[in-house]
Amino acid sequence: MKKISAEEMDSMKKEGVDTSKNWIKVGMSTCGIAAGADVVYATLLDEAKKRNIEVAIKKCGCAGKCFAEPLVEVNVEGVPRVFYGKVTPEVAVTILERHVRNKKLVKDHIFF
Amino acid sequence: MPNKVILVKETGAIENKSIDFNTLLANQLRDSGASEKASIVPVADIGVYDKGLVLRILPDNITYSNVRESDIKKIIEQTVLGGKVIDEIVHDGKDKQLKIVLKNCGLVDPDSIDDYLKAGGYQGLKKVLLEMKSPEKVIEEVKKSGLRGRGGAGFPTWMKWSTARNQKTDQKYMICNGDEGDPGAYMDRSVLEGDPHSVVEGMLIAGYAIGASKGFLYIRAEYPLAVKRIEKALEDAREYGLLGENILGSGFNYEMEIRLGAGAFVCGEETALIASVEGKRGTPKPRPPFPAVKGLWDKPSIINNVETLASIPQIISNGGDWLAKIGTATSKGTKVFAITGKIKNSGLVEVPMGITLREIVFDVAGGLLNPAKKIKAIQTGGPSGGVIPKDYLDTQVDYENLGKLGSIMGSGGMIVIDETDCMVDLAKFYLGFCVEESCGKCAPCRIGGYQMLQLLNKISSGEGELADLDKLKRIAYAMQKASLCGLGQTAANPVLSTLKYFEDEYKAHIVGKKCPAGKCKYLLMYKIAEDKCKRCGVCVKNCPTQAISGNREKGYAIDQAKCIKCGNCSEVCKFEAVGKE
Repeated sequence: MKKISAEEMDSMKKEGVDTSKNWIKVGMSTCGIAAGADVVYATLLDEAKKRNIEVAIKKCGCAGKCFAEPLVEVNVEGVPRVFYGKVTPEVAVTILERHVRNKKLVKDHIFF
Repeated sequence: MPNKVILVKETGAIENKSIDFNTLLANQLRDSGASEKASIVPVADIGVYDKGLVLRILPDNITYSNVRESDIKKIIEQTVLGGKVIDEIVHDGKDKQLKIVLKNCGLVDPDSIDDYLKAGGYQGLKKVLLEMKSPEKVIEEVKKSGLRGRGGAGFPTWMKWSTARNQKTDQKYMICNGDEGDPGAYMDRSVLEGDPHSVVEGMLIAGYAIGASKGFLYIRAEYPLAVKRIEKALEDAREYGLLGENILGSGFNYEMEIRLGAGAFVCGEETALIASVEGKRGTPKPRPPFPAVKGLWDKPSIINNVETLASIPQIISNGGDWLAKIGTATSKGTKVFAITGKIKNSGLVEVPMGITLREIVFDVAGGLLNPAKKIKAIQTGGPSGGVIPKDYLDTQVDYENLGKLGSIMGSGGMIVIDETDCMVDLAKFYLGFCVEESCGKCAPCRIGGYQMLQLLNKISSGEGELADLDKLKRIAYAMQKASLCGLGQTAANPVLSTLKYFEDEYKAHIVGKKCPAGKCKYLLMYKIAEDKCKRCGVCVKNCPTQAISGNREKGYAIDQAKCIKCGNCSEVCKFEAVGKE
């Protein structure tokens, strides 16, 4: 049993969420999963490993844009942080190659 | 590498459509020698609607709307190269949403307690247990915030807590109401799935405030993912010592359990929910005594909605005054709405109280699904609420204003209705829902609801009489006055409010035997217009009942006796030759 102390809580708060430089988040609530987010998530994990692309891939809750699910948020150093909507496994691979590796935004899939 | 990005999106009608703006933009960028400095990215949705050509320059985050060909040069020179804002065409991109309850949804990994802690989670609990050290102070802070129950009725949260706090007894219970049942509403599900720890923390703080040592999370069984995530959250909180005995060394003990609802809408009602947690049949009891005095196993119990509880941690960490600054005089803070129906961007929105319905529909949610159609009304509050006609779209959203219009804030379902929706049909849908979900314990709800539904069926099948409208109203008032619980008391609201604002539509069904929206199938006829028909025969192939006869020479006709009014023929006709009357 590892109990947390008040000091540890404060230092975690100070650290903040998403401290890694490059990350991808996939909305994995019921709305996202119904639209195929679980497949997109699995594809991202698989393909990133296969293609040797270093990026933290996380799941998160629904950001509210249920009409655009599956929704994927991408933050890569040197590129503006954006949401990609209606992401298919094919688009997910494009995101990895174009956005994460080549640092260019993927056309026609950004949702604000 | 280009250091700027120009996002481009055509929204709505654009003058001079023949021009390919992307090419034009690319050419002008090249001519200005800026190709290296910026790249052009067409996007799927830019968050601005019906404003012609919209450009957004990143990372400056400057948005221009209604951009014309003549503006492009200026934008490249001044903004892309110069970094300056051109005031004439800049779009006020202020986000009308304000995320408090949904703050962490989409930010944290719901299965990670570390993520929640890193986002500042459990700081409210820490403040309560280690700094404030007084339940009264906690209640005082919630009182200052002006928070009212987000489940629908809008009862001040502090008042409930205070009542329970003042009860002298050996045991009190805290209950989270996650039995979200309104058709089209799923705010609670999203919070439970996207940020479960905020609800757990809210439950801990509330439990401390009222003096409870045990909490129940009542979640409907139809939300398996929410249940899984809450289970994980409880497990992790227990491991970190944030749940269980002597939490954070403060001496406060608190345990929590999950209870699954078995799919009865009435179990969202406090007393029925309590019966269900006790393992009994979920039927309501008369109040008083209120659950805050005599609730679960006859002990003082507080039931708060998921959204109410999820906003507690931030009220404590930021102070009650912080929330009180947001909203209107009587309703503070924000409200999450699940916006669905004939809307472009269906989903969850969290807006400050006091925003107008028009802003929610047209600015936040992008306007109507089919912009060619006109908006007719908005339905709020689910089966307990009512419709708000388009003339009242500029109403500021708060508990009182929506109540005055004959609707309610409700739990947060918001359904946008356009001119193709029939109000009698809508009333029938909601009433039908309540009739099915009525527990049957009290006569006004059980019998009244059924009789009203029969009358509505009669009207929508063209058999209605004008006297039926009075009958509907009389039964509705009886149900409001005499039903045992909120379900029966409010079940007639959709009928009463559609009758109030759209009586003409009811009368059109009764007197004119017509459904103006073309929804009620007994009142409409599909007909083939001879002049428009090209005699292709597609309708014949798509008719499931072989009701269309004829041939390519003579043309086609629909046999009304065989027609089931499914509308297939009208949908498949490329020449719009099949119309409804």
